[in-house]
Amino acid sequence: MTLPVSLSPLLAVNATLLADVGQVAAQPRWLMAIAVAAAAVSLWLLLPKGLENRRARPIGVVLGSIALACFALAGRRLGSLGEEAVFLLVAGVAVVSATATIVTRSPVYAAIWFAMTLAGVSGVLLVLDAQFLGVATIVVYAGAILVMFLFVLMLAQPSGLASYDRVSSEPMLAAIAGAVLVGLLTVSIGRLSAPAALEGDQSVAQTEAEEAAAAPTAVAAPDQLRDDHVARLGGELFGRHLVAVEAAGVLLFVALVGAIAVVTRGEAAALAEGRPTR
Amino acid sequence: MVENSVDPVPVLLALVPALPLLGCLITILQGKLLGARAHLPAVVTIAASAVCSLALLAGTAAEVHGPDGGSEHPSRPVASVHTLWQWVHVDDAIHGVDAVSGVDADAPEDAATRPFAIDVVLRIDPLTATMLSVITCVGLLVAIFSIGYMHGDPGYPRFFALVSAFVFSMTMLVSASNYLIVYVFWEAVGACSYLLIGFWFRKPEAAAAAKKAFLVNRVGDFGLAVAVFLLWMTYGTLDFHDIVSADGTIISGILGQTRLTNADGIVGGTVGTAICLLLLLAACGKSAQAPLHVWLPNAMEGPTPASALIHAATMVTAGVYLVARSAPLFVACPDALVVVSLVGGITALIAGLIATVQNDLKKVLAYSTISQLGYMFVSLGTGTLLGFTAAIFHLVTHAFFKALLFMGAGSVMHSMGGVIDMRRFGGLRQLMPITASTFLIGSLALAGVPPFAGFFSKDEILASLHARAWPGGHGDHAEETHAGADPLSSETLATSAATTIVGDARAPFAMASMKANAADGHDASDHANDAAHDEHAEATTGSLNNPTTWKAIWWMALFTAGLTAFYTFRAVFMTFTGPLRVPEEAGHHAHESPPVMTYPLYILAAASAISGLWIFSTDALGSFLPATPSLWAPAVASTAVPHLFHWDIAMQGTLAAAIGIAIAAYGHYGRRSDEPQMERYLGSLGTVFANRFYFDELYVITVVRPLEMLSSIAAAFDSYVVDGLVDAIGHLPPSLAGVVRRLQSGLIQRYALAGVMGVLVIVASLVWSLKQ
Amino acid sequence: MNPVTTPFMFPVLAVENAATAVATVVSPAMGMLHNGLLVGAILFTLGLVGILTRRNMIVMFLSAELMLQGVSVSLVSWSRFHGDWGGQMLVIFVLTVAACEAAVALVFVLQAFSRTGRLDANAWQSLREAVLPQTIDQALPPIDSAATQWPTLTPAGVEPVRDEEALLEREHV
Repeated sequence: MTLPVSLSPLLAVNATLLADVGQVAAQPRWLMAIAVAAAAVSLWLLLPKGLENRRARPIGVVLGSIALACFALAGRRLGSLGEEAVFLLVAGVAVVSATATIVTRSPVYAAIWFAMTLAGVSGVLLVLDAQFLGVATIVVYAGAILVMFLFVLMLAQPSGLASYDRVSSEPMLAAIAGAVLVGLLTVSIGRLSAPAALEGDQSVAQTEAEEAAAAPTAVAAPDQLRDDHVARLGGELFGRHLVAVEAAGVLLFVALVGAIAVVTRGEAAALAEGRPTR
Repeated sequence: MVENSVDPVPVLLALVPALPLLGCLITILQGKLLGARAHLPAVVTIAASAVCSLALLAGTAAEVHGPDGGSEHPSRPVASVHTLWQWVHVDDAIHGVDAVSGVDADAPEDAATRPFAIDVVLRIDPLTATMLSVITCVGLLVAIFSIGYMHGDPGYPRFFALVSAFVFSMTMLVSASNYLIVYVFWEAVGACSYLLIGFWFRKPEAAAAAKKAFLVNRVGDFGLAVAVFLLWMTYGTLDFHDIVSADGTIISGILGQTRLTNADGIVGGTVGTAICLLLLLAACGKSAQAPLHVWLPNAMEGPTPASALIHAATMVTAGVYLVARSAPLFVACPDALVVVSLVGGITALIAGLIATVQNDLKKVLAYSTISQLGYMFVSLGTGTLLGFTAAIFHLVTHAFFKALLFMGAGSVMHSMGGVIDMRRFGGLRQLMPITASTFLIGSLALAGVPPFAGFFSKDEILASLHARAWPGGHGDHAEETHAGADPLSSETLATSAATTIVGDARAPFAMASMKANAADGHDASDHANDAAHDEHAEATTGSLNNPTTWKAIWWMALFTAGLTAFYTFRAVFMTFTGPLRVPEEAGHHAHESPPVMTYPLYILAAASAISGLWIFSTDALGSFLPATPSLWAPAVASTAVPHLFHWDIAMQGTLAAAIGIAIAAYGHYGRRSDEPQMERYLGSLGTVFANRFYFDELYVITVVRPLEMLSSIAAAFDSYVVDGLVDAIGHLPPSLAGVVRRLQSGLIQRYALAGVMGVLVIVASLVWSLKQ
Repeated sequence: MNPVTTPFMFPVLAVENAATAVATVVSPAMGMLHNGLLVGAILFTLGLVGILTRRNMIVMFLSAELMLQGVSVSLVSWSRFHGDWGGQMLVIFVLTVAACEAAVALVFVLQAFSRTGRLDANAWQSLREAVLPQTIDQALPPIDSAATQWPTLTPAGVEPVRDEEALLEREHV
């Protein structure tokens, strides 16, 4: 078969796609498609659109649940059932509360839902053997940043729901864009393990052994990360990344000074223009 | 040629145009500083120029007449040329002399190329000297008159600058010795005319009149330009005079001695006729001959002194000068000559008819000017020495009396507060006795009443025409008279008989050489003429050049003489006789003009009264002008006739004038000028006259309307097609941008959305490409 | 390509999959990476949709933090997969930068609010092209007051008797 060189990659791609379609394992693919589509429609229904779309909201919730379920089904089996259950729980909390963060109308509720998301994310991090980060996320985000948000909300919006909280800009296009992005990302994520899967055709043991050979760190990593976690993390942070830590410190300081400077200058400008100042 | 290099002639000759130019420049540069004395540079320099001109005239006259005194016909041409500088020199310019072989015997004919050299050469000969004197003298009087007339005008310095510029241009025009230089100053006087007609440019009528004059003159100038091209291609030179080059060969000028003495020197035939007709076209434009006369009446929108100087006395005579200067060319083409006469005769008749119904005093004089210029062309067209001389004679006298009349009209206008409509004033004799009397003298001269100037010059013109219409009638008085059965004879006899009485009364005016036997002489001419000119008649079969035409022209001219007298005295009676009426615009200023205005009137009145008689009785021009090379040429000189007074013709002319004056007196003397008198007898014919024979309407239909249509089409093309294209190209970027501009909504989330979509495309392409 | 994923929550589906597909279990590390990346992607995308749709600048900001969370989850997944600390280090700095960003950006939001009196991102649309008309929100129906009706407590206790004279006296004090 003599083909122009430039055409052969395309043909190869087509062959791969055809091979995909022919396989039984195409099932997760349409599962994922359903998940993405349902998530997009659900988001579009749930996003504030000015009208009191109370009737559409339950449909959105149902569709969102379907999407969530499909995502869960499309996910991979982990080592143990317990680990899987925990992961699904915390990931579900994170995703559901993240959705609630962006669809809820009141910004205060959004902030509180965001705190919930942080809790879920923290759980995911813990499952991913990043105990310090799991805790730090709660402490730093929920404890500091989120409280700052709430302060700002109190300062800026003392009186109830504003009109601009009841509408969204371009909800449909944004939902479609989000769906396309998730679809693309899942496609690329799904392709990650392809080489390993090809080799894991024989038996579990063989597969595991070959995988170990193919990605030695991947097998050894969890144990290494679990041992003396915070101490090792601290050693790494203040050893290899000391300069970066110092730079981050300087950055924090500058941000502090900058924030204060902007506020005072803004007040001065407001005074000069005769606007009311707080 | 007589080259005078030691005498003051070159200096004087250069000073004549240079002084007014200096005056013009001083006035332009220092006009505001001079203020109310802005007339000084112009008046002083023109006066000095006039002195120089008169000195030149005297010197030339002395040279012509020589030590032995006035001879009947000068034995040699008198002319001298003085090169100022070389203006253009092109080696190996192509000309068409070879195409006309044998024409230019003296010039090197081995090649069809020749240096195209234009020198700024001034010449002095009797014709130029006469013209210079007339221009500068009338110019001086007009300038002095203007001191009073233009007093207080905001454009006072500008007026005198323009008058100076005009005198400079006109003197250069008549003293240049090269057709191209003539052309240059032909345009220059046109420009001065344009500027002076539009002097009060804020007045829409004046601006329109100036534009009209300029545009109509363009037609004539086009003729002159083409004529100059043809002259170069035909003769290989544009100089009037011969040039002796460094190696001794003579490049003969068009009007140079070598060519004139050569029998084949002047090109006739089709080319010659074409040149002559083109020159005639130029002359028609500048001298306001039909059908290009329409600009001159409108030119009266300019200041009256400018009308007197430019549009009556001098500039409009440039055409007469040009034809007279080119006399040998015309004489070589009889067909062209008869066209000149016909144009002149028709113009004289038409303008005279129109003048009879004009109510604007200046318009009457304007049409009178056109008519009198027509007279000069009639005379030029006869192609005889007498005709040329008579034309110049009439030019001189006309310059005096028409300037006088215009300045008289200006004086009336000055005191009437700008009103010039004759129906609105009357009986001004009581109010302005000086103006009235001088105007009357000018009118008598214009009407051709003996012994005023116009009578003699008009008589000479009629005589030259008569000689052409009835050859032999006066040329040879010894011829046996023959009382033929001419239908005109009885009338002519009656006229002649009536004239004898008047003639006797005029005998003391020293018409010594005149023979009274001319009474019935011209009757014989019909038959004798036919016999003697058989060959000529056969040679020009089918052309206009036959005695019938000339007779028609003669009757036209004679009728016009009566018309002239009628409309002139109609104007006089309407203005100066009858009950005293003054328009309200005059206010309390209605009085006689100041001395600065009346003295020029005196001088011109004196000139109008006696110049004709003096010139005729001494034969001043008759013996002087033929020394001009153009008129000295054998072809012209051979037509010379003895200087005589023609009783019969004078009788007819005088009778016509008397009838005209009588009708005018019957209709208008002592009556209120605002009541129509003669017009009611004319009926619908009067309407035709009043509408100027619909010449303007004809031009509107044939020229203006099509041009306007063409222009509007072009304008529409410009504004819709050209502008549309440009605008379309201009609209392209905004319209393209208008599509993209909608994205620039100011809503940052839309920007973010667009950015996200771009990211999606990149991610998709990455995923696609990493699939391998 | 072989089936590489196995749904596990629903036993029926799992059995079906097990029956139809070759029973291949990818290593737990790989599975965890996959799932972590998936969660990270979903969080990131939800944050993105929030930024694109929500008009309240503070909610937009929360959405941006949500995206950062998604990225953090992905980074930690990779860190666990590779067994090194790089991912976690990066997340630590992400936290730091997020803190700085929140401080500065919230100040800017406050400044913007003090100028327009609104937290609306569309309040700054005067940056648009001059010829374009202003984008005006659709007319919103009034808020359903029933939804925001808070429960009221019945007043308890007894209103104290006012001593008018005592009040007058206090006036004079």
